[in-house]
Amino acid sequence: MHRERRKRSIFEIISEYMENLDALADELIESAVTERPSWDIRSRCLEPLCNIFVTADEVVVTADLPYAQPETVEVEAVGENLIEISAKMRRKVRFDDFGITHRKGEFSSFRSRARIPVPVKTERMKIRFKRGILEVHLPRKKGYRIKVE
Amino acid sequence: MSEAVRIVEKKRIPSRAIMLQGLPDVGLVGLIATSYIISELDLDEVAYVDSDLLPPIVVLHQGLPHAPLRIYGNKDLIAAISEVAVPVKALHPVMRKLVDWAESKGVRMMISIGGLPVQNRQDIKEPKVFGAGSSKDSLELLREKGLEILKEGFIVGPQALIMRYCTERKLTAIALLAQSFFNYPDPEASAVAIRKFAEITDHKIDVSDLLEKGEEIRLRARDIMRRTQGELTRMKKSQEYDLPLYV
Repeated sequence: MHRERRKRSIFEIISEYMENLDALADELIESAVTERPSWDIRSRCLEPLCNIFVTADEVVVTADLPYAQPETVEVEAVGENLIEISAKMRRKVRFDDFGITHRKGEFSSFRSRARIPVPVKTERMKIRFKRGILEVHLPRKKGYRIKVE
Repeated sequence: MSEAVRIVEKKRIPSRAIMLQGLPDVGLVGLIATSYIISELDLDEVAYVDSDLLPPIVVLHQGLPHAPLRIYGNKDLIAAISEVAVPVKALHPVMRKLVDWAESKGVRMMISIGGLPVQNRQDIKEPKVFGAGSSKDSLELLREKGLEILKEGFIVGPQALIMRYCTERKLTAIALLAQSFFNYPDPEASAVAIRKFAEITDHKIDVSDLLEKGEEIRLRARDIMRRTQGELTRMKKSQEYDLPLYV
């Protein structure tokens, strides 16, 4: 075993390291693409598709909300780094509408929570809802500024 | 050892046809467009793709099982779609097989429909369609049809492999890439891409129904978009934003 290890070149070690890193990245992606339904029968809610972009100045959270009634779209800061998005839909959607007859239930709203990966000023968030897409802009908290000598 | 990917033919495959592919990718532009074209032109299911590299799934339609990756056709058009996100590990062998198969059937041109993600998509009312081609002739064809050509940069995903394998086999391939959302289903982008496809291939396809059903499609496509998003991350689709080094 020891001899085998000594035979390995630096390239093999790097290659193995990269493979392990790729496997870890795959696992992380798997955990992000959650193995649970995108709907909840009890609350009659659908989970919308969401996305989070982090730029130098702000965090932008977007959500795709087809059939949402614009006046019912709400964004609430649940904690320092968590926001909840909700909206009522113009029409109810049933499993039947998708041709699914082995499940029963209807959905009338969207709801999801988005965890913000960096510190933001939730009290200064700005919201835009255009053509069924919600955009939440959260300014990032500033850190220390060090002058270049 | 059995073949990694095999194409099981159910009906006679036309020769000298145009082959369209719309596998799940950014904004599901290709998938939505190809599904709509299949439905509008009333194409029949002619074959399906079988592989141990694909997830163990059947899709039920009218109670009957279907392979998720299927090929449709009529006398002059063949179209491949997938109702599930294609795992990155399967992408190379599947696309290689599709191109091999297309070549064996005498396909005269491969067309990929896809999305070109843009950050300000929400502010674009009529997405623009860009073209990419496997040869000088195909670029000329795209220019004739008024498409702006992708001159430099990266293409990642199914259309990239189609382009690569078709170039190897000297089979004409073009990609029609409509400005789109990255990870939200984008029927409007599909509609503009279909218009260009129809113009190039001389088909009459009315996209008004697709645009009318836009919200319904976005709602229905949530789950496959979510799964596709995972594969897009794995295939490093964001590399399309990178600036190339070559000078």
